[in-house]
Amino acid sequence: MIGLIFTLTLGQLLRQRRVLLLGLLAAIPVAITLLFRFTSSRADTGLPEFVASMLDALVVSIGLPLTALVLGTAALGQEIEDGTAFYLLSKPIARWQIVVAKLMAAWVATSIFVTVSTLGSAAPLIGERGEDLLVPAFVIAGIVGALGYTTLFLALSIRFNHALVIGLSYVFLWEGLASSLFKIDGVRFLSLRAYTLGIAGAISEAPSTVFSARLDGPSASVLATILIVGAFIYAVRRLERYELSERV
Amino acid sequence: MTAATSRVDAAPAIEVSETSRWYGNVVAVNDISFTVGPGITGLLGPNGAGKSTLLHMLAGFLRPSSGTVRILGAPAWQNPGLYQQVGIVQERESVYDGLTGYEFVRLSARLHHLPDVEAATRLAIDRVQMETAQGRKTGGYSKGMKQRIKIAAAIVHDPPVLLLDEPFNGTDPAQRLQMMDLLRRMAAEGRTILFSSHILEEVERLAERVLVIVSGRLAAAGDFRAIRRLMTDRPHTFAIVSSDNRALASALLADDSVTGAQIDGERITVRADDFERFTVHAPRIARSAGVTITEVDTLDESLESVFEYLVQR
Repeated sequence: MIGLIFTLTLGQLLRQRRVLLLGLLAAIPVAITLLFRFTSSRADTGLPEFVASMLDALVVSIGLPLTALVLGTAALGQEIEDGTAFYLLSKPIARWQIVVAKLMAAWVATSIFVTVSTLGSAAPLIGERGEDLLVPAFVIAGIVGALGYTTLFLALSIRFNHALVIGLSYVFLWEGLASSLFKIDGVRFLSLRAYTLGIAGAISEAPSTVFSARLDGPSASVLATILIVGAFIYAVRRLERYELSERV
Repeated sequence: MTAATSRVDAAPAIEVSETSRWYGNVVAVNDISFTVGPGITGLLGPNGAGKSTLLHMLAGFLRPSSGTVRILGAPAWQNPGLYQQVGIVQERESVYDGLTGYEFVRLSARLHHLPDVEAATRLAIDRVQMETAQGRKTGGYSKGMKQRIKIAAAIVHDPPVLLLDEPFNGTDPAQRLQMMDLLRRMAAEGRTILFSSHILEEVERLAERVLVIVSGRLAAAGDFRAIRRLMTDRPHTFAIVSSDNRALASALLADDSVTGAQIDGERITVRADDFERFTVHAPRIARSAGVTITEVDTLDESLESVFEYLVQR
């Protein structure tokens, strides 16, 4: 049953026009890296630093959360909005199975975009000196981060009508302004971006001059696990108690 | 009000007991009790009366604030297993636009874990007569076609209980007749079918019984003509044609049950307070007056007149 709903949802997600926008979003860091590679006079100098900053600032901080936001809220929230969720909710299927299938679909779709974007952005560095496991670190961290973000946004979409707006506020106001702009230190403990970068930092062997995370690997992994499990349980409970409103 | 609308020999498929549902301070459904058994029952009421809230509670999509809602003896709320026995057609038009009609019904069959998905799909599509359009994407369907394919998806697992929210929306007259025929056949097979509609004529033509919801309360339940007759506090209007209208009108006015009589061309329009009493007394009065009654019609027996009266009450 999970497989059937997963396939259906993945098909629905990837058929949407917004997928083209997500593709463009994923392509931006790739294009910038290529531009750097071909316009820099000595491209090998500073390339690891440039790629690391690109993966941090564009892929993990913008591409990943926005892609997960769009797909995570669409997987079930959009179906609730447009009324097609009815066809799943009116079947003899345990609610946790619906959440697992929807989550898997959003996670897989987000991971595809983020992985392609990561590999594309880091392509000039692959096999080069100074790579220091930076690429696999960001690929793995991106996939874990995708699970965290999609679980969070899926749960929000079951609870709120305007999950997209709430998610955008989280990404830009909390993780963006509070963490990056105002440098509020405590934000890293409540930030999926910080968890993702912490996991990347734990896997990567790059020197701190190239890339350093604000959260250590074990803390990032534990906090990410707590968030994923907590958001998943919340999503299942919300769906079990979900009441079809008058508009649905 | 409690109304037993089930057959005596059959346990009620739907049981609603002292059920209320409120949103904050707004009471959408107020202390409703009724039972529904096999056959077709219409759920009727003006917009905002609480029909959708009630149907959603029956379908397990809304938690009653108080009271109980049971389908086939099991609670409707938080009981997904119940959907093996219940088919639901929602009012909203939405379907999976990217799927063909066949794929849409087949998906429903697969989600129901049916042993022979293909056979069940074909049978459901046949029943709503959508064979010719089954290969087209549902996104391109007309409103009526969407309604029919939604019904096919709802009956693919052959449920004993069927709940339909405004099932005839968007259908043309021919499709409506076809679907009414389908529902009648399904009811004849022993199923319990409850549908809501704001088209009084649909309810009148299809439903054996009716539940009338007004301002969140169950205003009436049962056969709509019987309900009408129980409302003795409202004058009933009859049109009578007789051998001597003037003499009959005078004689009728002398009876306590008659509140007014006037001659309108070839007939007399008579208003009576007590339906039962009038129908018993009128022939006797005519005989005494030496008048022969050749025709009697009730002028306000339509569901609309019953409904208007209930709303004003």
